[in-house]
Order: sequence, then C-alpha cells, then structure tokens
Amino acid sequence: MSKDLQKLHNESLVHIATALDLAQLEAVELSLFSRQNGRLTMLMKEIATVLPAEKKAYGESCNTVKEELIGSIAKRREELTNVRWKTIANDERIDPSAPLGTSSSSMTRAQKKNYGSLHPISRVQYDLEDLFTSMGFMVLDGPELESDYYNFEALNIPADHPARDMHDTFYLKNNPSWVMRTHTSPVQVRAMEKYGAPLRAIVPGRCFRNEATDPRHEHTLYQLEGLVIDRGINFAHLKGIIATVAKHLYGGETKVRFLPKFYPFVEPGVRGEVTCFLCHGTGCRVCKNTGWLEIFGAGMMHPNVLRAGKIDPEKYSGLAFGLGLSRLVMLKYAIPDARYALGGDLRFLNQF
Amino acid sequence: MLISKNWLRDFVFLPDAFDALDLARRLSLSTVEVENVTEQSAAFAGLVVGKIMAIESHSDAQKLKVCEVDVGDKTLSIVCGGANLSVGMKVVVAKIGARVRWHGEGESIVLESATIRGVKSFGMICASDEIGLLDRFPKSVANEIIDLSKHKARSGTALSEALGLDDVIFEIDNKSMTNRPDLWSHYGVAREIAALTGKKFKTIKPPMILEGNTIKISVKNGAKDLCSRYMAVAMNDVSPIASPEWLRARLEAIGQRSINAIVDLTNYVMFELGQPLHAFDADKIGNHNGEVALTVRLANAGENFITLDAKKLTLTNTTLAIANDTEILALAGIKGGENSGVDTKTTRVIFEAATFNAGSVRKTSTALGIRTDSSARFEKSLDPHLPAVALRRVVELAQKIWPMATVASIVVDITNFSSTPIIVNLTCSFINERLGVQIEEKKIVNILERLGFAVVRKKDALAVTVPSWRATKDISIKEDIVEEVVRLYGYENIPAEFPLCQIAPAAPNELRNLEREIKEILARECGFTEVYNYSFASSEWLARLGLSTENFLALDNPIAKDRPLLRRDLIPGLLENIEYNAHRFDNVSLFEIGRVYRSDTAGERARQNSGELLPDQPLMLGLAVLEKNNNQPFFILADAIRNIGERLGYFFSFSEMENSLPLFHPGRIAHIMCGEIELGKIAEIHPEKQLKLGIDARVAVAEFSLSALLLLASTPRRYVSIPNFPEVERDIAIIVDKKKSHSEIETIMLGAHSLLQRVELFDIYEDTQIGPDKKSIAYHVTYASDDHTLATAEIDAAQAVILKILTKKCGAMLRGE
Repeated sequence: MSKDLQKLHNESLVHIATALDLAQLEAVELSLFSRQNGRLTMLMKEIATVLPAEKKAYGESCNTVKEELIGSIAKRREELTNVRWKTIANDERIDPSAPLGTSSSSMTRAQKKNYGSLHPISRVQYDLEDLFTSMGFMVLDGPELESDYYNFEALNIPADHPARDMHDTFYLKNNPSWVMRTHTSPVQVRAMEKYGAPLRAIVPGRCFRNEATDPRHEHTLYQLEGLVIDRGINFAHLKGIIATVAKHLYGGETKVRFLPKFYPFVEPGVRGEVTCFLCHGTGCRVCKNTGWLEIFGAGMMHPNVLRAGKIDPEKYSGLAFGLGLSRLVMLKYAIPDARYALGGDLRFLNQF
Repeated sequence: MLISKNWLRDFVFLPDAFDALDLARRLSLSTVEVENVTEQSAAFAGLVVGKIMAIESHSDAQKLKVCEVDVGDKTLSIVCGGANLSVGMKVVVAKIGARVRWHGEGESIVLESATIRGVKSFGMICASDEIGLLDRFPKSVANEIIDLSKHKARSGTALSEALGLDDVIFEIDNKSMTNRPDLWSHYGVAREIAALTGKKFKTIKPPMILEGNTIKISVKNGAKDLCSRYMAVAMNDVSPIASPEWLRARLEAIGQRSINAIVDLTNYVMFELGQPLHAFDADKIGNHNGEVALTVRLANAGENFITLDAKKLTLTNTTLAIANDTEILALAGIKGGENSGVDTKTTRVIFEAATFNAGSVRKTSTALGIRTDSSARFEKSLDPHLPAVALRRVVELAQKIWPMATVASIVVDITNFSSTPIIVNLTCSFINERLGVQIEEKKIVNILERLGFAVVRKKDALAVTVPSWRATKDISIKEDIVEEVVRLYGYENIPAEFPLCQIAPAAPNELRNLEREIKEILARECGFTEVYNYSFASSEWLARLGLSTENFLALDNPIAKDRPLLRRDLIPGLLENIEYNAHRFDNVSLFEIGRVYRSDTAGERARQNSGELLPDQPLMLGLAVLEKNNNQPFFILADAIRNIGERLGYFFSFSEMENSLPLFHPGRIAHIMCGEIELGKIAEIHPEKQLKLGIDARVAVAEFSLSALLLLASTPRRYVSIPNFPEVERDIAIIVDKKKSHSEIETIMLGAHSLLQRVELFDIYEDTQIGPDKKSIAYHVTYASDDHTLATAEIDAAQAVILKILTKKCGAMLRGE
C-alpha cells in the first residue's frame, strides 16, 4: 500500500468517526468520492502512472480501502441516524393542548372541518323514539294544519265546549274549520282509522298555541303523544309506561306521581309528575320548591274517542299520554328561554 | 278561583290546628290543582292591638309624642307623630321585627328599634296605609293613626285575629275544573273536602220564601231548549247601601271589590253556591201597570243592547236574552243591561236565578268577548236544582242586610228539565279491570257514597245514582265512575305494570326514517347545523326577497302580526337565519326539515269519508350555505346533496333551469333531478339581492321535497368487484362550447369505450385565447380490463376512439390542436 493511500485511509477513518452529524459525514464522503476531486478518486486515477507490474496490487489496495471506507461511512451514518431518533422527543415536541389550526399544525384555519349539529329537540325526540320503538311502538305523524274535526270534535271536544279554553287556537283565514293543531292528539283518531286495534304508537310533532311568546311560552312547540290500544289495557299499564319513560329520561331512582286532571279525550285523566332531576325531590329552583316536575298529561282513552276511531270500547281499551318535548329539552339542557328553540341563532344551535 | 278557609268552615268542619298546605295537597292529589295558598295573617305578623296608657310630649320635637303602650305582656315606649292620639285609645302596634311601609310609601321594611330625636322608640303605632289597610280604615288627615277603640280585642291580641284577617286563601286553577261546575263555589269545594277527609258536610237549608203580592211578575220562556229553569222573586225595601262588614270581608278575602249591598249580595250567593244571580231594578222594567212581564228569548238579529258598563252591542239571533215587552234587559247568564240595573236610587229589586244552556252562553260570551264570573259558571253546565236553593239563600241574606226588606211577589219558577237522575250500571270487576287493581266492593261503595252517589248493589253489579250537581255533563258513563273511585282510592296505590302485547314488530314510518337519515348525514358528515324555523312567514320579508305572497294560506288570528302567512317554502326562513348569523360566523351552513303548507294541492282528508281535503303539507328539506372567501357556494350544496344520494341510493343530478325570480342568480340555478324527476331546486342568491339584504358573501340555497323523494325507488347498495388487473390513468383535455355541461360530456365518455371505468373532472378553464364562447375542460380517465393487463397500444387506441366520439357528439377539439 502506498504511503499516500495509507495516510488517506487513516485520516479518513478519523474523519468518519468524528463526523458529528449527517451533513459532516456527507462532506467527508464527498471529499473522498467526488468524481472531480475526491481524494480517493484522484488516487485511483493515478493508477495510470503506476508501473505495469504494480498496477494490480495498486488497484487491489485502492479497492480494499474504498470498500472499507464505504463500510465505515455506512456504519457511521446509521449511528448518526439513530442519534436523531434519540432526540426526536425533544426536537419535534408539540403542545397537545393547542387546537387544530394553530401555527405549529399543518392545517390552516380555513381548512378546518365544520362540525354540524342536530337540533336539541331532534336529539331528545330521537332518544325517545328509540326507547318506544324498542317497545314495539310505531312512530306516526299527521297534518300540522288540521281539521277542527280531528283536533277537537273527534277528541270529545265539541264546539262551544269550555275545554277549548285550554287550547289557544290559531284558525285559518277563510276556513273556520281548519286550525293549526294545538296538540299531537288528532293523530290518535287518524291512527285508529288507519291501523285499527291493537295499536301501539307514538306521535312526536310540531303543535301551535296562540299565546304571546316570552321566556316560558312559545307559540310553536313540540309534543310527543303515545297510545296503546288492546284488550285489557288498564291504568296500571299507563303507570308502567310513564314510569319507564321517566326513568329513561331522569334515571332509575326517578319516581312518578299522578294527579287528577281533566282532558276531555281521556277518562280518567291525570297529569304525571316526576321527582325533580336536579334536587331529587327536596325542592329547588327548577321545580319551584315542590320537588316535582309536571311532565305528562295522560289517561285512559275516552270511549267516545275510541268510537271516533271506529274501535269498539266494549272490546278494547286504550291508554294515552303526551309530553312536551320542548319543555323536556329546556329542562334537560337547562335552557332558560323557550324562544331559543326556533330563534335560529348559531351560538345556540352549535352547542348541540 | 279563590276560596276562603273561613267561608268553607260554614259547610265543613276544619280543625283549629288546620294545616292549609296539607289540605291543598289533598285537593291537588284527588280533585283540582291548588296553585297557591296564602295565609292572610302572614302579612300582619308582629302587629298587635295596643292601648295607650300615657302620653308625654317629646322634649325635642313639637309634633312628636312619647306614648306608653300596653301590648299585653309589657308596656312599650313608642315615639309617634299621630294627630289623633289619646290616652285609653286602642291602636295598632307594630313590634320590632314586623313589616311596615314608612308613611305608606315604598317597599315594606322590617321595623327596628330606633332613637328618634334622642328618644328611644320600641315599635310603631301604625296608620292604615303603613300596614296595607287603607281601604278598611280610610284617613281623614294625613297623620291619622288607626283607632281600634271600638274593637273588643284586648291588648296584645294579634291584629289579624282582632280584625278577622286570619283567613287562608286557596287559589284553584280554573282550567283544572272546567269539567266540575259544582266546584265553582265554596259550597261545592267544601262538599269535596268533606268527601276527601271523611268529615260531615253541612247541607245548606235556607228557609222557604214567604211570598208577597205587591209586585206582579210573569215570565214566559220563549227558548225552552236554552233555558231549562227560570226563577225570579221581587223584594221591597232594599237599598244600595255599603255592605255590612261580614259581607264585605268575605268578598274582599277572595279578591272581589265591594260595590254596594245589592250587587255584593248576588255575588256572595254566586261565590257561595256557584249559582250566578242577577238583580233587576223592579221599577225600571215594569210596564205601565207596574207589572213585570219577562220573556226569555233569542235576540232579533241587529237588536241593540247596552250593558251595565255602557258597552254598546248589536246582537245576533243566536243571543239568548231576557227582555220585557219593549226591550232586552240582560244577556242571559252573561251580563245585565244599563236599562235595568241596580243604581243608587234602587229600592225594589227582582232577583233572577236561572239555568241557561252552557253552549249558548259560551258561544255568546266568546262572540261578544264578554267573559264574566257568571258566564264562566254557566258554560260549565249548571245543576238546574241549584236556582231554588240560591233564591231562598238570597232572600234569607237580604233580610239579614235590610231587616225591613220584604218579599214583594210570588216565586216564579218555570222549569223545563227532567228530574230523573242518571243511573250508571257497572260492576266492580269493570272498575278493577280498568285500573289494574283489586279494590273490594265495600271500599268502592264507600268512596262513591262519600262523594254523594247513591249506590244500590244487585248481585255483582252496582247501580250508581249520580247526584244532581255532578249529573249535568260531568258524569254519565262507567269510565266516569272509574275516575271517581281511583282519585279517592289514590293514584299512588295503583301499581306500575307493562301491558302484555303480541310482539309483532311495528310498521316502519318510511318518511320519518328518511328524514332522520338525512339529518344524520347532513349534520354528521356534511357539517351542517340543523335549524327549526316558524311555520309562519312574514309578508314583509317575502317582499324584501322579491317573492310573491300569492297562494299563501293565512292565519285568521296571528299572534305575531307581522307573520300572518303559512310558509310555502323553507328558503325564506333559512335566508333569515343566514342574515341573522352572517356577521358573526365565517361559515354558516344550515338545513331544516319541516312541513310547508300549500292550498293549491290537496293533502289528507278533513275527516274520514269526507270529500273535504286539507292543504298539502309536504315535508321539505331546505339547505343554505355561506362561506366567506368562497364565491361559488353552489358547489358546497351540490356536493352535500350528492352525498345524501350516495348514502341513500339515489342518483341526484343538476340540470339547467330557467329562472324568473329576482331572488336567484340567473346563471347559477338548477333543477335537482333524481333520475328523470324534478325534485327541487338549487341556486345561489342573486348577488344584488344578497348585498341589499346586508349579507357580505355569496349564499347558496336548495330545497326539495322528502315526501316526493320517498315515492322514488332507491338503488340498493351492491358490491362492485375489486379490479384484478392494474388500472391505468390517462388525461383527456378538450375544448368545447361554453354551454356544454360536464354531465353531458361525462355521459358521452362513459358510453364511449368498454375499457373506460370512470372519469374525473379536474379542471375547467376559460380564456380569450381559447375563444370567447369556448372552454377547456380536462379529465382523468381510468382504464382497466377484468381479464388482462392493458398494453399501451390498447390504451392509446381507446383514447383515440373516445376523442373521436367527443369530436363527433359535442364538437370537441383536443387542447393544443
């Protein structure tokens, strides 16, 4: 081995071993193997000046050195690369609490995905629909602009009946026999006509009451109506179903109580109260210190209503109940103002 | 309705250690909703009767005196500026801690001991306006204090007790007793309480009326269907004096203003027994012979009438009235007339006690907008037996008020009702089956008897006679009896059970399912926010949008006067939402699913087998989007709609649409097509309109009918085989007429070669160099075969074929040619 080659070999091994990063190593590599002026390249080109008898040995020793150096570089490269992984935790650290779209993130604010939302009434409605369909109830709907017949008469509320006081009604211009339905109950009779008995159905839907709006009142509201008609349906069944709904909504400890209330389309008629979900019955602001929240109107279907639906009240009996979905939503999310539901304000809607 | 505890005590025993809240709770649990309980005495806590033992002048103030006042357990030294102080006088003393209003002004405050100009004062001697009793003790001079010297009460007696202000007032929700005419009185509520508590009920038995003969009364019933009983009696020597204390106190306790003894008397009997009465001035309604000839009849159409409170009315021929030979004197059961009412000179009255038809009274009072305590009772259907008791009671009390008053006529009593009671036959097992419990017969009978029903047992059956006060409308069928039993048995004693039903699955509601799926897709995948908008539309907003209000259904009695119309579309409401939110949010993407109301197409039947059809009320999906810095929001909506189609198995496309509405951008509007069916529209808002609405970015809207979509068949999802051989992608860029649509070109390409799998548009480019009516359009085209790997030559050949077809069918030129 020539002296020059020996020197290059020794020096290069030192350079390779002392390269501190990949860039330095690359510089060493280039200084050796560059086609134009690599030191090893130059030495190898000198073979032309070597005596013919020594050419073979010269070439062999050059190649040996070259291979050794290539091997060293590769080894050092691997070492340096692994060192990089050792410090990556520090080098590429992020702040996990920062939101998407801040400076260190790859995505800009404009590219951020818009997350949508369902209306809170839809959410509560679907939650109850799923409960009832699991118990074999149909989900029905009917016209929102309803005839006086289905909204009142068929429900045992004839014209000039004082019970109409309970329904502040929107009437249609030029057609006194049309109303905006004041409750979902007209679907009771429509459903009986269509499906007969036995029947298990709920009717969630939009209703209208002609009353001035304020934080507690809204002229457009949502109800959920339910009915079960079969042979031998009784008041205990009504209590069982109402208790199930109450527990579903407010947890297994929730208690239900019934108080008498007059609705012309049920007999007996009750209002159902549940123990306040906030104070569990001890009294608080939400339940106005009564410990109870009025949630349901319910009762055994009046025989006149069954008859209106062409169902024989001597053979069948039915239970019916209704609850205010809008009110339920306000209670569930602690919404202080009934007018938000139809206010169309994204600051409200985007919360759900 | 307000009910007084003291008044109830006339008819039912209530113990001294009486728990008002407990009674309210029992009433609420079994009968009617008690909304409020007010203890009258609470307002007078700390106020006692005191006696002035000595008066000394105040050393530092001329007008003030220092009084030594005996308040029973001790003597208090009180500084007072009252003008009428005297030794031995009984006064009202507010002890430290009582609530008073200084000089009758402002909020009440809690009295503390005070030093007034250097002299300590341990209470206050009260003027009537300082403790809310000005009505009862009017002041003649400003600094006059209440003088109780005439009262028997001893020093130290609570003022509420001394003045009989120890009443408890129950407020009952009127709406909770529309079915219970019998409860609209103290007598009726007392009877109910007796039944609930098992206490004895004291039936009222006013003495028979000793008839007179100085006034001749005759009554003709010309409307027998609407008046089932008419009773009247005349009395002499009455006068509209101020009511005696007992009468006035009772009326005031239940929130009624005392007017004069005659009016107060009729009101008293109404609030006591629930039977509205009317008093005519006998001297105003008699004929020239002094005889009173009354007729109950329907008014003639157009007949005029002026009410007691000077309201001028024109009546219709459905108004039931009381008239004499010349004119109408009263609206039956609603209100008296100016021409016949009691005034300051009245000395002879005719008391009327009648039973008018509930529907008729309600119809008239609703139509005329006159609701009175009387009409509120009549419209609930009153017991025709009640007038007889009420008339005897009014005469009894009249003679208590005016000891010299005498009955001046016979008692007129015209009847047209059946006294046969209603009997409901049922079995105990019916009751128990309906309730899902086992209540023994003895208990059922006991409950019914407590409530005034007469029960006869026949083998398994019960024959239940309904008392007259429950028989007018309230109770007539078996189910009514079930309610009576369960409300006294206690709802809390009914178990909670599940019905046993067949497990047949419920029929699905396809429209609801579709609606829900679309909501989930739009909210969860497309990032849209669901809104609910009112069904009621504003004409003003529609006009601002340049939309016609023709064919809109309208409310007869809108609550929001600016929103009288029923919406026909969802877009106007969504634009309101956009306008409302745009200044706060960079992105607003909304949808609503709701019904619209269209009278020009027919919907469901107004009743079974009737030809009358309600307006069509299709369920619509509306979408609206605005994105700052996006000038073509159209494509956001188009993409969302395509995504709905992709998920649900519908193929939606968009085809050019002629637009005549100024609301929409004429160059950016399209039909939403599902196959060949036009389902709805998608458009951008005309930028001119958008700017006029104050919205600073382009807005796109879309709407289509879910009811219509439901009628179309969806394509079920199928697996498409994964290619076995590699796919090859090439590009095709062509120049075509500007008006050629992507979908047209796409359709041509898809049908042009069997190896072509799909195409993807990636660029549309317009430039004057290309030509004014031209555009460049470029596609990625994917080729594959299902049985071999494609060779370059094959693909080249396919490209050539496709280009040739494009040239032929839509005049395409290869870009760069």
